Amino acid sequence: MANLEKKKIEDADSELIAAINAGQVERFQELVERYQSKLYNFGLKMCGDSRDSEDMVQDTFLNVFKYLKDFRSETKFRNWLYRIATSTCIKRRRKSKFAPDRELSLEEFLPQDEADITDTVPQWAAQPLTQVLNEELRRRLKAAILDLPEKYRLVLVLRDVEGFGTAETAEILNLSTANVKVRLHRARLSLREDLKGYFDNE
Amino acid sequence: MSEPHKHDHDHAACIELFSKLSDYLDNELDAVTCQDIEAHLADCPCCTACMETLKRTVAFCRETEERPVPETLARRLADIVAGLAAPKTTRSS
Repeated sequence: MANLEKKKIEDADSELIAAINAGQVERFQELVERYQSKLYNFGLKMCGDSRDSEDMVQDTFLNVFKYLKDFRSETKFRNWLYRIATSTCIKRRRKSKFAPDRELSLEEFLPQDEADITDTVPQWAAQPLTQVLNEELRRRLKAAILDLPEKYRLVLVLRDVEGFGTAETAEILNLSTANVKVRLHRARLSLREDLKGYFDNE
Repeated sequence: MSEPHKHDHDHAACIELFSKLSDYLDNELDAVTCQDIEAHLADCPCCTACMETLKRTVAFCRETEERPVPETLARRLADIVAGLAAPKTTRSS
């Protein structure tokens, strides 16, 4: 008979989690300190507002505390944490906004006519990154990310900002990897359009 | 005056590549498909420009600003954790 028990994953958090689950509850603070900055910044990119992000971080840690005993180490703790954070973000946003997510299609990003096609790499993509990146661009980028429909924004933030892989993102969001790839590509194309507009008008 | 765009090959190949650009940038395609894409890019400055701008867009995302955690949040979380840990400490003492 096949062994259906999933392999346990040991990572940098395993020891701390085992200690907390063994009764050293006060060490939960170490877990908070390890992840509060990442989660807060993730929340800022998802909610756009510091207060919403703070509330999301608090709710996430409360849920982590509540369910930590059920964490079976079948995935990295970080992935499990972001699954909870993501679901907290979605719930919070649904409470405040009922507008359905806009769909992004590949076709809308295809050049509409020859005039839209450029055959030279623009300066903003050719120059060294440090020469192009400045505060104004960071602000524009942040606004463009926030402007993405939520389901695309989640994938883009997890993949391109937080650095999760395709399979990890799929696991966190409970999507197929194919779906993650489709959403990511459209989200990137949408951002690129926004940045093109920004640099064209500079 | 020279032509503004050098785009004299089958546009269908460009459209097909357009849908695969992210997978290409993320190394999620097989070797044969990558070779096909590289051959196309070598011959198509328009798709090269498209690929480079997408690549730079991804690079920008990886450089987004990280803000420090507000002191009020750090304190709020520490207070919550202290509260969660407190009942057990009380029971065991």
